[in-house]
Amino acid sequence: MYLIEKDKVMTIADELAKDYELFGPVVEKGTGQVFFNRVANSGEINLRAEIPTLPPKATVFPQIETIMKYRYDKDTKDVLIDPVFSDRKKALFGLRPCDLEGMICLDRFFIGQEFVDEVYLEHRKRMFVVTNTCVAPFKQCFCVCTDSGPDAHEGFDLNLTEAEEYFIVDVGSEKGAALVDRLGLKKAGDEYRKIKKEIVDKSISLFEEIATDNKAWISRVMNRITTGFIKEEVWEYIGNQCFECGACSFVCPSCSCFNIEDHNKFDQSTDRLRSWDSCSFEGYSNMAGDHNPRKPVEDRRNKRFFCKLSYSQSKKYLRPGCVGCGRCQWVCPGDIGLPNVVTYIRKEITE
Amino acid sequence: MDYMSGLCTFCGTGCGNFLKITDGKVSGVFPMKNHPVSKGRLCVRGWHIHELLMTDQRIGSPMIRKDGKLKEVTYDEALDFMFEKMSRYKEDASTSTGFLASPRSSNEDNYLFMKLARAVFKTNNITMDSESGHRSSLDVLYNGTGMAGMTGSISSISKTRFILVVGSDVTRMNPIIGSEIHMAQMAGAKVVTICSRSSQIAKLSTSHFQIKPGSKKILLGALAKIIMEEKLYNAQWIKDKSRGLELFADSLNNIDLKEIEGITGIDYNSIAAIAGELCLSESAMAFWSTGISGLDKETVSYIYNLFLLAGKVGGEHCGVNPLTGITNLQGGYDMGAAPDLLTGFQKIDDPSVLQKFNSAWKTELSPTPGKDIYDLLGDPSSGLKALVVADHDEGIIRYKKEIEKLEFVAYIGTYLNPFMDLADVVIPVAGSIENDGTYTNTERRVQLSRKRVEPFNDVYPGWKLFPMIAKKASTNWDYSSSEDVLKEIASLTPSYSGITWEKLEKNFGIKWPCNEKNPEGCEVFDCASNKEVFSFAPVSGAFKIPAPSSGYPFLLITAQGEHFWHQNNIMKNTYIPQREYRATLLLYPNGYVEICKADADALKVRDKWTVKISSAHGSMNVDVKVSEDVKPGTAYIPYFIREMITEFLLEHKQDFQKGEDAIIPIRIEGV
Repeated sequence: MYLIEKDKVMTIADELAKDYELFGPVVEKGTGQVFFNRVANSGEINLRAEIPTLPPKATVFPQIETIMKYRYDKDTKDVLIDPVFSDRKKALFGLRPCDLEGMICLDRFFIGQEFVDEVYLEHRKRMFVVTNTCVAPFKQCFCVCTDSGPDAHEGFDLNLTEAEEYFIVDVGSEKGAALVDRLGLKKAGDEYRKIKKEIVDKSISLFEEIATDNKAWISRVMNRITTGFIKEEVWEYIGNQCFECGACSFVCPSCSCFNIEDHNKFDQSTDRLRSWDSCSFEGYSNMAGDHNPRKPVEDRRNKRFFCKLSYSQSKKYLRPGCVGCGRCQWVCPGDIGLPNVVTYIRKEITE
Repeated sequence: MDYMSGLCTFCGTGCGNFLKITDGKVSGVFPMKNHPVSKGRLCVRGWHIHELLMTDQRIGSPMIRKDGKLKEVTYDEALDFMFEKMSRYKEDASTSTGFLASPRSSNEDNYLFMKLARAVFKTNNITMDSESGHRSSLDVLYNGTGMAGMTGSISSISKTRFILVVGSDVTRMNPIIGSEIHMAQMAGAKVVTICSRSSQIAKLSTSHFQIKPGSKKILLGALAKIIMEEKLYNAQWIKDKSRGLELFADSLNNIDLKEIEGITGIDYNSIAAIAGELCLSESAMAFWSTGISGLDKETVSYIYNLFLLAGKVGGEHCGVNPLTGITNLQGGYDMGAAPDLLTGFQKIDDPSVLQKFNSAWKTELSPTPGKDIYDLLGDPSSGLKALVVADHDEGIIRYKKEIEKLEFVAYIGTYLNPFMDLADVVIPVAGSIENDGTYTNTERRVQLSRKRVEPFNDVYPGWKLFPMIAKKASTNWDYSSSEDVLKEIASLTPSYSGITWEKLEKNFGIKWPCNEKNPEGCEVFDCASNKEVFSFAPVSGAFKIPAPSSGYPFLLITAQGEHFWHQNNIMKNTYIPQREYRATLLLYPNGYVEICKADADALKVRDKWTVKISSAHGSMNVDVKVSEDVKPGTAYIPYFIREMITEFLLEHKQDFQKGEDAIIPIRIEGV
């Protein structure tokens, strides 16, 4: 555990910028909306900005990207294949703990199983991650219910916690230790463990009622969803409110579904594109031979909540798929963000 | 920062979005959290508009048809060619020349296109393309209130207490407005949907009147009649502030409330309860959509009259609200893209208006309203010879054979479109994100859409292109930006007179009327400060309900689907919405007709089996989709297959003109 003066904290970012492309929370000037985006210099980063609307998952899993180019020559029957990998080194500075948990879910999906997704791996493997403890929750946050905040437990290289006149710096990796060493940060005394705990406890005490109230309920709902005890009418009630826009999946830090399209160009070459997809779309689960295991919208909806909250899925991620960021709540044209779904199911249990 | 704020230019809702711009190119989209209309939401189309904007299916160069093929030329050559050809029709331009404007073009481009038609090419034959209903709604509202647009606003949906949705599945057509209605319902507002099908908004409503097809108008009339009979309305207010109630009341005499259940399928008590709630509610709004599945003028008149009677046309959180399906349909009419209009619904045959435009434009305009282009195309003796078309939206071209026979067709557009096959000259123009421009959404909100990327292949923006065409006619138009064009619009248009670029830059748009009296625009139509009296819309009083017969036992209703918007012409340049479209096609390759299980059993057909649909005018083969969303005797078709439209629906032009949301009696047979 180390300390850095508040006005010096950006020297960490500056140091990283020497070797990495720097990413961080940026407040868009015209609208005040926060994005986790690439910055030209550390001055653009605002560590006190609210949780970014665009999750950092876009840095490892972009909304749309070319993953391969190929050209087929009809005469010679030759195929020229050009795989496209990103070899950029990215430093994510000021990541919120829930978003890091989301990325860890993505890691377990893309590279933690039998098949390793090389495109994702190339995005991810040269990465430096600096998390930022949430000293106060933001509106709609409920990470206390999903064990993903307000402080980060694993997966970071460095973690920052804003204390009185310092940032407390936790080291999470050898890379992180080396950077701290290079910057010559001063060691924090043992009392800072207590100070950090107090900061985190205070943050937890500030959560809105819906989060604290739902805390126990989320695990009960997980139980219900896993065992299939939820009445069909409840799923139908939820399904009727789905506008099939896909937004919940797009803004979710742990949603990993994607679509592959070959875009044929005028010059006879083809770009293979990968883009965000969502299980709320009917075409997503369409199979050859006209079969669709999840045709009605309510079946597609409950699939998503299965993915976020069932034990079987949690075994894959080694944690619940939901990281409690609350983004799905504000982008939903219906009223079926995850906290609300928990509330609907809870209503059914108690009634 | 890679994300640039702006406007989603897909439908008439006018949501805020961010586009991700990487190396000068679009590479993503994201919703805008504090936009007053969308508040952080986007629909499936808005979430994929970057895929459309990334497309290389663009017109990259001016082209002239030589030996049957389009050959690339310079702008100068193309415009010379166009002007030389068009000059031939100068003498009788008012009959020989026509302009087809686009609801996708910005206000500035539409204004210049309109000015080009009237001032340079001397014709008033200009029609807004791709729409068949919004004008009727505007006429009803203009004649009744003096305001040619939605009298309420999207931002106050959440505050209204009663919402009536007539016909349209607003969650599919304008999803974010549907979302606002749903949120209002969740917060305690009463939402009543009148629709023959159990659409999503019907499922989300507090009450759904699943009426027999074709009985919307009489149901609306019955609501009004009950209000009259029970004296639920404010008689003093009606006496002081309205005129024409007697005629409207007369028309209601044709309704026998004892028979209403038999005609509509809804019992008297349920109707009476809603009539009472509408009147007693402190605020209320009505919504309906325009377009082929929209309503005819009579039905719109009944909605308007019902709300006027209930005292809910204007005022806080009230309003009668037509919804536009395409981004700038409202703005196109505001810019005078109609045979009889100049900007802001000013009539061309009004001498003082004409004089104002003549002196501002330094020209001599014809005071005689032009003709609708589609009427001219439909009339073999019309004498139409030349047609100039802006950004055609649909994949289908109505009157294609007639257009092929024209002597000259010019196409001015952004994306590749089948209309190019009919054109003698093709002229590219910069797309919506490649040029500054204003767009007016369905709630009259004029919003600024800033240039976010450089134009594809250096094609010209409208403010540069249209003056170049005028220049060929030795007319000098002096604009150096879209802002200059907006200034001119504001100077000639009372409802836009207070709108300036600076004001638009500062916030998320201004709702017209914006003038000296309302420098920040008008949230809703204000009844209290409006000294004029309101007029009840004249109605015929005839309620012709289409009836099934033994020859044609089903009543067919039609609508647009979400992913197959405008026959998929735009969505085909996307990936995910296109995939969704294909998923439907995979199941129902011929398109589908929705019928209920009982009807399917009686016909001895199963889901996905092909059937033949016949009406008095034509027939087509489609696949069956068994669904409990329709009642026995009702058939529903979302039209998205080219052949469905060209070979069947367009044959029913008379039905669509007759209105009553185009109910077609049909027979269904197994094949």
